[in-house]
Formats: sequence, structure tokens, C-alpha cells
Amino acid sequence: MKHKFNRTYVMGILGLALAAWIAWQTTMIPERLVSNEPGPKFFPFISAAGIALFSILSMIFDAPKDKEAKPYLDRAGWTRMGLIMAECLVYCFAMNFIGFWIASILGLFAFVWTLKGDKKINIVFAVVFCIVLSSICYFGFTRGFHIPLPSGTLWRTLDIKMP
Amino acid sequence: MEAYLSALMTLLQPTNLIMMYLCAIVGCILGAIPGLSGGLGITLILPMTFALNTELSFAMLVGMYVGGVSGSFIAAVLVGIPGSAASIGTCYDGYPMTKKGQAAKALSIGITGSFIGTFVSIIVAMLCSGFIADIALMLGPWEYFSLCLMAITMVIGLSNGSVFKGLLAAFLGLWLSTVGGDLVTNQLRFTFNNINLYGGINVICLLMGVFALQQVATAYAKGRLEMPEVDASSLGGFGLTVKDFVDNARTILVSLVIGLFVGFLPGMGSGISNLIAYGQAKKMDKHPELFGTGYDPGIWATEVSNNAGVGGALIPMISLGIPGDATTVLLLSAMTIHGLQAGPMFIQQNPVLADLIFLTVLISAILVFVTEIFTKRWFPMLLKAPYHYLYGAILVICFMGAFSSTTSMFSVLLVLGFGVLGVVMDMFGMPNTPLMLAFILGSKIESYFRMGCSYARGDLTSFVTRPISLIFILVAVYSVVGPIITKAIKNRKAAKSV
Repeated sequence: MKHKFNRTYVMGILGLALAAWIAWQTTMIPERLVSNEPGPKFFPFISAAGIALFSILSMIFDAPKDKEAKPYLDRAGWTRMGLIMAECLVYCFAMNFIGFWIASILGLFAFVWTLKGDKKINIVFAVVFCIVLSSICYFGFTRGFHIPLPSGTLWRTLDIKMP
Repeated sequence: MEAYLSALMTLLQPTNLIMMYLCAIVGCILGAIPGLSGGLGITLILPMTFALNTELSFAMLVGMYVGGVSGSFIAAVLVGIPGSAASIGTCYDGYPMTKKGQAAKALSIGITGSFIGTFVSIIVAMLCSGFIADIALMLGPWEYFSLCLMAITMVIGLSNGSVFKGLLAAFLGLWLSTVGGDLVTNQLRFTFNNINLYGGINVICLLMGVFALQQVATAYAKGRLEMPEVDASSLGGFGLTVKDFVDNARTILVSLVIGLFVGFLPGMGSGISNLIAYGQAKKMDKHPELFGTGYDPGIWATEVSNNAGVGGALIPMISLGIPGDATTVLLLSAMTIHGLQAGPMFIQQNPVLADLIFLTVLISAILVFVTEIFTKRWFPMLLKAPYHYLYGAILVICFMGAFSSTTSMFSVLLVLGFGVLGVVMDMFGMPNTPLMLAFILGSKIESYFRMGCSYARGDLTSFVTRPISLIFILVAVYSVVGPIITKAIKNRKAAKSV
């Protein structure tokens, strides 16, 4: 695969854009000065300046070394990355909608299925693993530690009481 | 002495002892599996500790830390892949020893070396921390600001890769730490009227995203889910004699000192100490040519030094509130979550908890040592753990941990966002430790700086006119500029010689 972008240049440009955005947002922070101290804008400005400075320095000194660098991921790698991130996103929304317990059983199975790649797995074992782990997490946290986990807006709307 | 006894009694309560032991063993397993680590284990169990009392929480977290560092040599010896950066040096002689049919001896050296390193270093930490904390009480906000600055720059200067990218990551972390209400005026910054951001970014979300989710996503995308086969034919017996200890006593002692010192310095963890100790052992030995061929002192040096870093790293964490390595960054965040303020007053205000942390290390080290000795022959099974189940479980625990830290779905989405940030940083070659360290120390740096300015009536020169503060600032500047100058000189010399 032909390497079209120098990653450090891309990083530098993104860094400069972020620094400019932080600086712009910082100017909008209302100033409430307490005597003899730099105020709430000082550190955000310092952060923006640091990000900008080291983005530029990195582009000057690190970018030339990147010319021969291999691509971070090939096409198949990016597909895998997109897939796992998309699954995480769906899992997050499902957690809110159908609750942590059911979303985790389904989500964990989806994760295991995706992460296994070409390997063969015992489906019965995988299903049992997903149910057991999700149940331990859910009931351990909600009943054992009394830490609430999402119960699901769907069940609340339908007035169904979940365990 | 009273505090020690009280801490010991607390730790020996069955629940505390069992949970500490379980966490130490889980840490050991995570440390043994390449790509996972005890630090990841700490990240995952941190949300679980919200509902537990502080003593039990720290028994679990510290147990996981000790197990994680100890277990990292297993894969290095058996398959030549280090469980973490702490055991890179162990691969050089551990794996060749396994190939020569001496796996039992290599593992026994790793187990015993790890135990000696942790045990002795924590005794030193117990003796030194109080003394260092007393000295630290004499320092003001100027010195603390400079010390925090030095901790961050040392991490950057000594980490592999570009110094500029490390600094960029640190400033990004510093900016993230400014999100939320300002400490002095309570003015909201970068919150965009989102109530979830008023208290700042939750440290758990950042850790879960940048550390755990990124690790799983990149490992899967890069196809790093396979382990080589393990030669388990020679795992019987202890393999060590008294003569082995006597012959390697000098290497053990020197590696202990190196591990302790390197662990004590902010930012220099066991990832560096094991390589320095290996190099030193090679220099001192009568047969340097044997290093790399399956030679005992190579394993002794790396395993004693990387575990000695545990005690070394705990000294600045407890007495100064400055983490010594990446894992103590996590322990420091755990302290913050539990409402504790690490620093010079910590030992005075929480003597029992401080001693409990030290004793947890001590007892975990003993328990891990005994367990490893008796279960050595089953170590190859650890390396057959199916990654698809492990990583799947990690993802679910990540999101669960984020939700439980704030009981808000916003945190769950924040993990995903930070996961993407972690992948982007990995793609650009930006290290994530400076980001995490700057994020955790960011609010301290800002408050010390503003306090210093306020006390000195706006006079910024007070940071360089106070001698100790000036020393810290000079070290901070040197740790960033030094490697750049050294590299430039080397490049010039190389160019001249061509």
C-alpha cells in the first residue's frame, strides 16, 4: 500500500488546529481576577501555546524521519478498527436502551465473536461465558456493591421490572 | 509501631487477606500475558473499590500492582516475549535458557529475583518515606510546582521516541486537566454548559479509554492476538542451589540499588531499571560474552531491579504525592478517588493506611513467591489464555467501570472518545504516559503555581530565586533538553565519521 501522508505532518496540523481552538475558547472564559495571581485563563493559554509549539517542533524535527515509516494499519486493519469501535458505540447505546445486563450478554458475545477472527470457538461455551460474566458484573455491582448500572429505558417505558 | 500493628491486624482480616491474595494472583496472570499488565488490572478494579472501604481497596490495588510486576517475567522466559517493558532484559537470557532445557531454573531465578527485589525495596521504602515526608514538609508551593514539572519532564525525557511528541501529549493532558470549575475562582472552563463536565473530566474515563480500550482496539486491528507455542518439557524441580545465590550476590545487590534508585526517580520505572541493571551486570561480570546466551546473572539483574522499583516508586508517591512510574500514577488516582491527599502530610494524617500499603506489598510479595514456586509447572497454561475472551471481558468491564464512576451515560461515551484519542495518539507515535501524568498532576501544578504567585505577590521570579525550586526546574529543563543535545552531538559525530 502506498504511503501518501506523513503522519507527523498530519499530527502537527491537527495539533495547531486544536491549539487555536483552545486559545479561542479560552478568550471566552470570563475573567474573575483575584489579586496577585494569573487567573483561570493562564493555564489553558499555556496548554494551547505548548500544543502549538511542540506541534511545530515535531513537524520540523520528527516529520523527516516519518518518510520511510510503514503505514499504521493496512486496509484490513482499519476495517477491524472500525468494526470494534462501531461495536463499542452500539454497545454503549444498547446499554442505555435495554440495560446493562442484556446489552452486556449480547455485546460480550459480539466482542468475542469479532475478536476471535478466523479461530473456531465453542458457541455453547461462549454463550455460557457471556451470560455468566455479564451476570456476575451486573448483580455483583448492583446487589453486592450497591452501585447502580443502567437498567434500560425500554423496560421503564414498557413498565417492565427488570431484576 | 502502633500504626504498623494496627495496619497488620487490618490486613490480616480474612476478607482483606483473601481479596489481596486474589488480586495479587490476577495481577500475576495479567502481568504474564503479553499485552496485558497489572496496571490494566488496577484500572479495571478501580471502579469496584468505590463501594469498598479504603483499607480493603488499597489491599486489592497494591496486591494487583505487586502481582503484575512479578508476573511479567513468565512470558519473557517461556516464549521470549516480555509480559511488560519491565522484563525486556529478561528475554535476553531467560528465553535462551529455556531453549537450552533449563526453563525450571530460569523461572526459579525470575520468581526468587522478583521476591528479593520487592521485599528488600519495600523495607527500604518503609524506613525512608517518613524521613522524606518530613523534609518535604519544609517545601512551599514554589518547590512543589517545580517538582511536579520535573516529574512530567522526566517521564518525557526518558521515554522512548520523540521528546516533542511526549511534550505535546503532556500539554494535551494539562489542557484536559483544566476542564471544569477553576480551583480558585470556580469559573467554568471548556464545559459547554454540560453539567457532566462541571466537576472536570473523570480520571476513570480517561484511564479506561486511553489505556484499556486503546490497547484492545489496536491489538485487534494489528492482529496481535496469537502467542507462540511454549516448550514445557523442562519445568520440573526448583533448579536453584545455595551456590547460585552466593555466586550472584554481587549482581543481586547492585541490581537492588539500581532498581530502588531508578524507581524512586519520578517517571523512571522498571521498564528502564531492568535494562540499566542488565547493562551493569554485564559490565561487572568476568564473562560478559556469556550474556545473551542463557546466563544466570542476566535474569537475576533484570528481575531483582524491576521489582525493586516497586518500593522505589512508592517512596515518592507516599511521601511527596509524585508517582514514580506509570502504575503508581494509577494508585495516585485511586487515592484521589478515595478522598485521600498523597503528599508529605499523608503519613501523618493516615499512618495506618500508609503502613497498610507497605505491608500489603510485603505480604503480597511473600504470597506471590510461594504461589509461583508451587504452580510453576502450570505457567505455560497462562500463555494459552484465549485473547478473544480476555479482551471481550476487558471491554465490558471498561464501560461498566466508567458508568459506575459517575452513574452517567456521558462517562461511557467519554471512554469511547478517549479510546479514539488513544488510537490517534498511538498512530502518531505519541506516548500516553505523559498525557496521564500531566492530567493527574495538572490540577496540582496549576494550584501550586497560582498559590506561589499569590504568596509572592505576583512575583514570578520566586520560582527561580528559591534554591530547591531552581534545582528542580533545572533538572526539568535538562531532562528535556539533555536528550536532544546528546542526540544532536551523536548525529554530528556520526556524520563526521562518514
